[in-house]
Amino acid sequence: MAKNREKNPQKGRLQLLRFRTTILILVILIVGFGAVAVRLFYLQLIQGPELQELAVDQQLVDTKLTAKRGTIYDCNGKILAQSASVWQVVIAPAYIETDEQREYIAKNLSKILDLDYDNVLEKVKQDSYYVIVKRKIESDEREKILKFSEKLSDKYTKLSNVITLFDDYKRYYPYNKLASSVIGFTGMDDQGLEGVEYKYDDYLTGTPGRIITARNANQTDMPFQYEQNVDAKDGDSIKLTIDETIQSIAEKYMEQGVIDNDVKNRGVCIIMDVNTAAIKAMVTTDGYDLNSPYELSEDTLNDIAQLPKKKRAEAESAALGKKWRNKAIADTYYPGSVFKMCTASMGLNEGTISDNSTFYCAGSVTIYDHTISCHDTDGHGTQTLFQAITNSCNPAFIAIGDSLGPERFYKYYQAFGFSEPTGIDLPGESDDLFFNEDGSMSETDLAVASFGQNFSITPIQMVTACAAVANGGKVLQPYVVSSITDADGNVVRTTDSMVKRQVISTEVSRQMCDYLERNTAAGGMNNGYIAGYRVGGKTGTSEKLTDSEGSEDYIASFCGFAPADKPQVACLVFFDTPKGDFYYGSQVSAPVFVNIMSEVLPYLEVQAEYSEDEKQYVDTIAGSYVGLTTDKAKEQAESDGFTVTVKGEGKKVVSQIPSAASKIPTGGNVVLYTDEASKKEKVTVPSLVGYSVSTVNSIASSYGLNVSISGVSSSASSVSTSQSIAEGEQVDEGTVISVEFGGSTVVHD
Amino acid sequence: MAPFVQVMREADINKVYDEQFNDRRDRREARSRRDAPEKKRKLKQKLFDRGMGIDLPFLLIVLVLLIIGMIMMFSASFPNAYYNKHDSYYFIKRQLLFAVIGLAAMIGISFFNYNKLHKLAIPGMAVAWGLLVLVLIIPSPDGVKRWIGIGSFNVQPSEIAKLAIILFLAHWGSMFYDKMQYAKYSVLPGIVIFGITAVLLIAEPHYSGIVITGILIVVMLYVSGMKVKYLLIGAALLAVLIAVAWVTGILTYAMQRMDGWGQALVYTSSENTEMWNATWQTRNSLYAIGSGGLFGLGLGNSRQKYLYLPESQNDFVFAIVCEEIGYIGAMIILLIFALLVWRGITLSLRSKDRFGKLLGIGLSSQIGIQVVLNILVITDWLPNTGISLPFFSYGGSSLIMLLAQMGLILSISRTANIEKQ
Repeated sequence: MAKNREKNPQKGRLQLLRFRTTILILVILIVGFGAVAVRLFYLQLIQGPELQELAVDQQLVDTKLTAKRGTIYDCNGKILAQSASVWQVVIAPAYIETDEQREYIAKNLSKILDLDYDNVLEKVKQDSYYVIVKRKIESDEREKILKFSEKLSDKYTKLSNVITLFDDYKRYYPYNKLASSVIGFTGMDDQGLEGVEYKYDDYLTGTPGRIITARNANQTDMPFQYEQNVDAKDGDSIKLTIDETIQSIAEKYMEQGVIDNDVKNRGVCIIMDVNTAAIKAMVTTDGYDLNSPYELSEDTLNDIAQLPKKKRAEAESAALGKKWRNKAIADTYYPGSVFKMCTASMGLNEGTISDNSTFYCAGSVTIYDHTISCHDTDGHGTQTLFQAITNSCNPAFIAIGDSLGPERFYKYYQAFGFSEPTGIDLPGESDDLFFNEDGSMSETDLAVASFGQNFSITPIQMVTACAAVANGGKVLQPYVVSSITDADGNVVRTTDSMVKRQVISTEVSRQMCDYLERNTAAGGMNNGYIAGYRVGGKTGTSEKLTDSEGSEDYIASFCGFAPADKPQVACLVFFDTPKGDFYYGSQVSAPVFVNIMSEVLPYLEVQAEYSEDEKQYVDTIAGSYVGLTTDKAKEQAESDGFTVTVKGEGKKVVSQIPSAASKIPTGGNVVLYTDEASKKEKVTVPSLVGYSVSTVNSIASSYGLNVSISGVSSSASSVSTSQSIAEGEQVDEGTVISVEFGGSTVVHD
Repeated sequence: MAPFVQVMREADINKVYDEQFNDRRDRREARSRRDAPEKKRKLKQKLFDRGMGIDLPFLLIVLVLLIIGMIMMFSASFPNAYYNKHDSYYFIKRQLLFAVIGLAAMIGISFFNYNKLHKLAIPGMAVAWGLLVLVLIIPSPDGVKRWIGIGSFNVQPSEIAKLAIILFLAHWGSMFYDKMQYAKYSVLPGIVIFGITAVLLIAEPHYSGIVITGILIVVMLYVSGMKVKYLLIGAALLAVLIAVAWVTGILTYAMQRMDGWGQALVYTSSENTEMWNATWQTRNSLYAIGSGGLFGLGLGNSRQKYLYLPESQNDFVFAIVCEEIGYIGAMIILLIFALLVWRGITLSLRSKDRFGKLLGIGLSSQIGIQVVLNILVITDWLPNTGISLPFFSYGGSSLIMLLAQMGLILSISRTANIEKQ
């Protein structure tokens, strides 16, 4: 080339030009266009998805439509939890142009919504199209906001889009505290946090809808672009097996039981349909108002306030956790003597004992070096099986346990469902705590386990086992949700009762029902006897494991079922650490069981059948005699079956005691007042405790008072144990005093 | 400046081709006086004559690019036109008018004897610099001074400067073809021209204009015969400069000052609102390009053009092209551009005179360089400062000028095809 160029510079230069032009083309096309092709390849195909996502993020506006949370009903369709419409105030401050407008809007919004002005002003100053000002406002505030928005758009036409109200929902619990541990509550974002609200959150929540709109950079809708709507699907509604009426009855008496017995660590009551294991009521006392679950009682707050500052938050959350805890399924306890119904069932089912078996009790038994004493240290002597149950005799049950041996005992323990959670559809169910995890147990373990000590189970396990004893031997899976219905009314799911296994034979079950029925009859009020009803049940008092040695804390429980010949419901009543005058199950829990079942059984339309003895104690409802002439009133009251005392000189009855519709024993005294002056007479209440039924009746009638008697059974001598109005109180003549009777010997198990 | 005097004297170097043009003009004049039969025969030679006709493939490529460019510009511009001008057709109507004017200019210029441009080389350069000074004097609303408005018609002086530089260096290279190996004839004028132009462009500011000017000067001097040694020294100096700037952090600072060059995806609106806003256009360009993927969202289906990408009809039109017709579509368009560059340069090489060769190579290269730089701008590899995409970007004066330059290449193609006869 070089040579060539020298010879013919003209031609050489031309070649150089051609050569360099070729290089130029190559550089532009390969380096230049190549770089561009590579860069675009990277951006479009490798980084593309990421960039596209960023682009879509800014182009699409996704507005969430809240779905209405499903309603929770009781078994009769009463609403236990419901979501009501509320609204969310959202502003688009980016439209606002001047500070004057900002201040005007902030001033009005803070006034209407009761918010801090500076806070609102800060929100109004943001350069955004979506700022939440307040959530969950109710319709009165909404009206005011709508009015203000109208006023605003009148004043500044450009600002008509600044304020928007979005639909939102708020959860209401019409019965406040009722069944709080079962129903649970929801959080700020409508998410279930406890109980059924938590467990069935997926059903209740529904599917939130969305409006996806393509927006241009000015945030107005694109004229030619799409808008995609997905309607919100409201949540499913849930029907519980809980019956509001039964739940209320149980809560009423459980709360009273807690007060009467100074119960320190709450009480539990579970009422279960024995044939389906549907939970009719589940009470943990000291429940909380579901409408304000985060509120602590003043006492608790005072206690917390005394703690050092650092520990307060922790103490507060611990207090809330304790308050929300569903003791009926989350806490374990020693079942104590109540468990004897299971031990007896095991022996009968295995044939190691029979109706004819006899047991001897010398007051204590020695297993190796452990001496286990019976609560009656004098000993029960020789007993039949039925007597052993009624005496709640520990040595007798140690003998039954011994006859079974540890393997069979544990096999039944498992079969009764104690070794596993019951599977109830509520959150937080605990496991049992047996001696050894593999089910092995020493002889001493077996001995104490036979009468329900030293292993822990949950209340729900106990009542499920009791239901199995009563229902013919079937262990069922308890449940609280009976059906789930979607927003259109279609049934999504129904719960069928699920039989897990047959633990004892029908015959043994029948036999046990018979024993337990006779047991209640023998013990009166203290064994769960209810006049007119055939009730089976067993008391239990168990020692609690306590941290400090020597402190004696007890759990008083009663577990029973009715009617004994054809069981319908089982009920466990359980008080943790009663610190009142009594701590025995027979004294603390059995009377509460009686009170609850006395109202629940008539509600369930179980026919009462009174024996001749019982009929005299049956109460009659007093009629209304006020306004009638004295003679006519007297005539009518007597025809209703009452004895009548007329006070005063008037022609007409102005008031009566007991008042209309109150319960008075048949043949009781009705006092009719015919003038105001006559009403001043008062009677001092006498002591009615410690007497037989006839003595109580005669004392009461001599004072002109009425007594309502409960807990008296025909087959045992009864002694009055308490009176509803204390001795020495001044009351009107004719006032009804409830007197409870128990067996003459209280079982101290 | 002795060499310029020389230019006038040595104009006869290209006398042969002048004569050919003169001959054609004479014949045309004669033809108009002659009778019909002869007219018929000569008409055949007129536009697409193989001897003296224009290069048909090149014309075809120009027309194809123009049509595709118009369609894509319309698609990219209508939301902006709809929202801001309340007429979806605002930009395309004007662009169509400019295209018609430009095409007329192209055809007209293709008949023009480009050799007469020798005389315009020096005045052209002077006028271009004059306009670059003028644009700095004229007040501008936003502080950026790139346009001179004449009525409703805007002219970008840097566009004229580019043409003036190509013209001048083609002239220079053809005059001193035997002395180009000396630094005095190659490096010196290069530095002088670049220096003056760059200073004026920095003041606008128009950074990408500086880059394109520099590249054009290098291309012209390189093909004219400048020693590769100088090129390498220049490249080495540039590399050192960049390295120093990089090490000292000046580069990062400069990138930040240049509207966050190379940092489009770095900022978030909450952390650095100022830079977020500064990188807005480039960022949304990247969003658009990335959204296209392999096949694109479909013609007309861009979402980024809905005001997210500001001025999507101008420099960033190709981002919308990428979004709508994807990588495949973008590559096809690049291929057509590549064909144009290749055809333009090769046909210029066949020109009988050095001036024509250099002019044609310069004009064709300019298209290629501008395409590359434009896409590098919209993909955030170069600072975002006004490089339009030939045939695609909206803009009357630049489209007309572009088509006029295509006319020049067509004019050169007439002499190039003579040899084939």
